[in-house]
Amino acid sequence: MMMTMMMNGGEATEAELFLNCDDMSVLERQRVQLNYHQYHHPGFEPTLPCFFPNSSKMNVGEVDSFLPSAGLDLPEIYGELHGDARISVSPGNITTESENSKKRKFGCVDTETKVCNEKKKMMMMMDREVAVEEEEEEEKSKVTEQSTRSIMKMKEQNSCSNDSSKVTKDSQRTDYIHVRARRGQATDSHSIAERARREKISERMKFLQDLVPGCEKITGKAGMLDEIINYVQSLQRQVEFLSMKLATVSPRVDFNIDDIFAKEVVSAPMMNLPNTVMPPHMMVNSGYPHDMVNSGYVHFNPMQQVVTSSDPLSCFNNGQSATMWDSDVQNLYSNLGV
Amino acid sequence: MQPTSSMNEQFLKKWQMGLQIFRPSIDNTSVSERKRAIKLSADVAMASLRKGTTCWSRALIQKAATEDSFLVRQMLAGIKEETLINRKLPKIVCHRKIVRRSKKILMRRKSRSAMEEVTAKAKKLVKRKTKGLRNVVPGGEFMSNNVLLIQETLDYIVSLQTQVNVMRSIVDAAEAGVER
Repeated sequence: MMMTMMMNGGEATEAELFLNCDDMSVLERQRVQLNYHQYHHPGFEPTLPCFFPNSSKMNVGEVDSFLPSAGLDLPEIYGELHGDARISVSPGNITTESENSKKRKFGCVDTETKVCNEKKKMMMMMDREVAVEEEEEEEKSKVTEQSTRSIMKMKEQNSCSNDSSKVTKDSQRTDYIHVRARRGQATDSHSIAERARREKISERMKFLQDLVPGCEKITGKAGMLDEIINYVQSLQRQVEFLSMKLATVSPRVDFNIDDIFAKEVVSAPMMNLPNTVMPPHMMVNSGYPHDMVNSGYVHFNPMQQVVTSSDPLSCFNNGQSATMWDSDVQNLYSNLGV
Repeated sequence: MQPTSSMNEQFLKKWQMGLQIFRPSIDNTSVSERKRAIKLSADVAMASLRKGTTCWSRALIQKAATEDSFLVRQMLAGIKEETLINRKLPKIVCHRKIVRRSKKILMRRKSRSAMEEVTAKAKKLVKRKTKGLRNVVPGGEFMSNNVLLIQETLDYIVSLQTQVNVMRSIVDAAEAGVER
């Protein structure tokens, strides 16, 4: 997926930063794209429509009295947060990701309000996974823009709650995530949380529809899940089959890489291996001096390039023609006497 | 999102690294032994790309560690392998009989209209499917809610696609090499 976005001022540049960040996982990128889709095409996003809520004012009153639940035992809606908090391995990684997604959420809300400026604010879906907060995130929150109608408060780590009310922004440490209810729907805090959950799920299911081939026509959750299960099972079976095939095809476990690559062209991003340790057995076979073998690093003089023929590894090419080939690698394979 | 070429690259590198570990052992003479080694290192390579951020990758690494912890340790060198291997994931324990009994009681108390019955059946179906999905995705039983499940499935599918693409191209190239 291409991430070409029109940059439109301050709030977009932060996104640009973390779009280029290599640490982001697939899902972070997807979320970014979705949120920017919302940013630029607000009318397309069915999950965040703008209405005139008549009941919103009443709602604010009752919900403000709802006390946030303390402690890490977060309700189901914050399942992702909960999961991440339990299983966080490297704090550095997690915080950068949550910082990024938090920045993103701020950006998303602000643009929403700009779009619905005359209309009253609707329910905001906040990803609770973002709320694993630490000091750095609070500083970042001060950077994001103020919005006129609806502003956001992010609650610190332990006190996310089920409540829903007006979204406000504050740069204090203890903040709340306020959400407003839609017109004509139950304002019960539980049902709002449930609705947010359901919408998150359908959001994710849409991504899955893109991934799984042949799913464009299936509309129901059960049918989609069926297709997903079948697809995952088929992929797993393919892995089994391919590994069995590979085991039968090649007599050695490491299937003699020089056989495979010496004859092929691989595109530029692929196989950039200037400093890989050559498996010693390969070098011994090609008659290299023993000390080179033992050192584990190979240096070559530049030599003529290897002309290659067919391209079974075209999956790595992504349709591009081979431009560069790391000269060390080329020389490596040519020296092996293909 | 489709797997990118850089993902393919990384997977291949890690997989090769894992296979190198098997190379010295002479026991890999039988096809099934080789297949097991290939598959195991491919799975660990796929999971290690995520560096412990996703639930399925952790579960996969744990499963692989029960089969061959030495391999896992070598492959994950530097990515907090100890915590990943030794961690016990919280398991959601459900006493099915108790749950079923309480559900039966609730169902009897409710008076049902036609609409409610339809939606109830649809919900049951969806629940059954999500259970099936949990069984398929590694570590699915430990995912506490559906949103997380779908998210992990997304990531898992992309990684699986990478794995399959790389493996298939290697197999094709190896076959082509053998034929010559």
